[in-house]
Amino acid sequence: MHPVLVAVSICAQGFAECSDKAWLNTGDNAWQLTAATFVALMSVPGLAVLFGGLVQKKWVVNTMLMAFAGFAAVLIVWVLWAYDMGFGSPIFHNASNNWNGSLITRFIDNFVGRPGTVISSTGETGQATVPLLQANNDMPPFGLPMASVVYFQFVFAAITPLLFLGSVLARIKFKVWCLFVPLWTSLAYSVNAYLLWGGGFWAHQGAGDFSGGYVIHLAAGTSGFVAAAMIGPRLKKDREKSLPHSLPLIAIGGGIVWLGWNGFNGGDPYFASADAAAAVINTNMATAAALLTWVIWDMYFGPAKKPTFLGAINGMVVGLVAITPCAGYVNGAGAMLVGAIDSTVVWMAWTYLSRASFMKRVDDAMGIVYTHGIAGLVGGLLLGVFADPSVVVYQQIGLASGSPVDVSVKGALYGHPGQIAIQFGAALTVIIWDALVTFVILTVLKFLFGGSLRYDDATCEVGDLAVHDEEGYPDTEGVTRILPGYGTASPIPASTGAASTSAPTVVGGA
Amino acid sequence: MILITAVIKPHALDTVREALSIVGVAGMTISEVKGFGRQRGHTEVYRGAEYKVDYVPKLKIEILATAESADEVVEAIAKAARTGKIGDGKIWVTTVDSVTRIRTGETGPGAI
Repeated sequence: MHPVLVAVSICAQGFAECSDKAWLNTGDNAWQLTAATFVALMSVPGLAVLFGGLVQKKWVVNTMLMAFAGFAAVLIVWVLWAYDMGFGSPIFHNASNNWNGSLITRFIDNFVGRPGTVISSTGETGQATVPLLQANNDMPPFGLPMASVVYFQFVFAAITPLLFLGSVLARIKFKVWCLFVPLWTSLAYSVNAYLLWGGGFWAHQGAGDFSGGYVIHLAAGTSGFVAAAMIGPRLKKDREKSLPHSLPLIAIGGGIVWLGWNGFNGGDPYFASADAAAAVINTNMATAAALLTWVIWDMYFGPAKKPTFLGAINGMVVGLVAITPCAGYVNGAGAMLVGAIDSTVVWMAWTYLSRASFMKRVDDAMGIVYTHGIAGLVGGLLLGVFADPSVVVYQQIGLASGSPVDVSVKGALYGHPGQIAIQFGAALTVIIWDALVTFVILTVLKFLFGGSLRYDDATCEVGDLAVHDEEGYPDTEGVTRILPGYGTASPIPASTGAASTSAPTVVGGA
Repeated sequence: MILITAVIKPHALDTVREALSIVGVAGMTISEVKGFGRQRGHTEVYRGAEYKVDYVPKLKIEILATAESADEVVEAIAKAARTGKIGDGKIWVTTVDSVTRIRTGETGPGAI
């Protein structure tokens, strides 16, 4: 049927179908889609060029391709089954009756949601819901359609494996990567998200993880470290000479990551609220403090006692990761302290823990276990200290049930030291589960790929050209295009397509 | 005095350098070069189009030495850079008329 006629016939059935949905809040929705896009840009091109610049020249194409392919692979499994495993309904109980039943069903319902698709018309344009959160009065009803929440949460799910790409790049087989990522999203990430954000066990215990200090960064650091250990190190020569090949690329990627984080932490309240604004400025304050802290450590205690650009980038990343679990739960003073303290801890670990023999044996190429694993763990624990109960995410919700509450987190500084223990328990769960899942997936893949998850030494020696027949900075001298069907090489035509619009004489001239 | 010039595969540099320090070579100059010999180029693919790339990246090493040490140095390079596959490179030796150390003005074999 003609599109206009369809519209007319629907409108004839009732005016409501043609207007905005009553629950839709256009301000919230505009910010949510913007924030999601900011976060997506952190992955592509952000991490693609940040890691692309950090690797040797011979691996830049492989690194960027794995980032783009991983981003794509996550989206497919996310909408087909994984989103619902993280944010959907429990498997055995309905959302409001979650705590009854046998031990096994209760355990599973605290751990992961029921897999399901979100690709139907209602799955995209219906009102969003995270069933357990709304059933437990942990958040008010959404002013957003499902598509906004599914996409916003997708960009988080996608950036997580792209972070641990930094641990395994420059030797992992491309095919292994393309299977590892969707399997990890399905089995590890969905559980992390459900436990802390979807209303699972640790959400219920009151653990706070504003935007993914645990769900994303601790998870990436843990999984990257285990994966790097299982895949084995890069070539000895490559480890000894693992100089970044382009600092300007790192500046571009790093800058996109920093500012992209405004969406990362600013989008997580799901409302374009005062708390969203607080989360954005807190994110930047913590990052500023952490960047400067790292540079100061470098200047007075670093190997050359000089400020370094790559040190500043490390400090920046640590600050962003540190504030991620805290962003909308702490005040500005808390944010700067979280950044400075976490940056100091990670600088120490980067400088001293890295000398321990077991840390040297595992070739975590970009040091993700430090700048994301340890930084995320420490950030989550610091939330247990600095969370300010008067920084409120949702005000006075559950009015209808007669017992309105403000949703916030109270840390040790404000009289609730138990929060640190809760944060610790959640961290331990993520570490154990993600390490286990990574180990199991890679064990299976290793078997499927004939005993090796990595390219052989001759391939690693050459890099991009051996794996993709492309290189990051191709030559122009001595290059001729091989035209199919002619058998011999000919010079590259200066312009194709001009002939179709030009006079016949031009065609003849070629 | 002689100038020894060698064109080698880039990844052979470390072993060549080690071998040279064993035979007492105290300095050398390295440049990144491209070229082809019997080893032909390779193929690259961009947006589905195949390209033949004629020149292969190599490293050029230049060493000043005394005439007596020529055989020893050439042998050290050849042994260290050899993989047995096509494209291992070449070494050639030329006579040098004079050498001057800029800092001291020293000339002759003492300036090497």
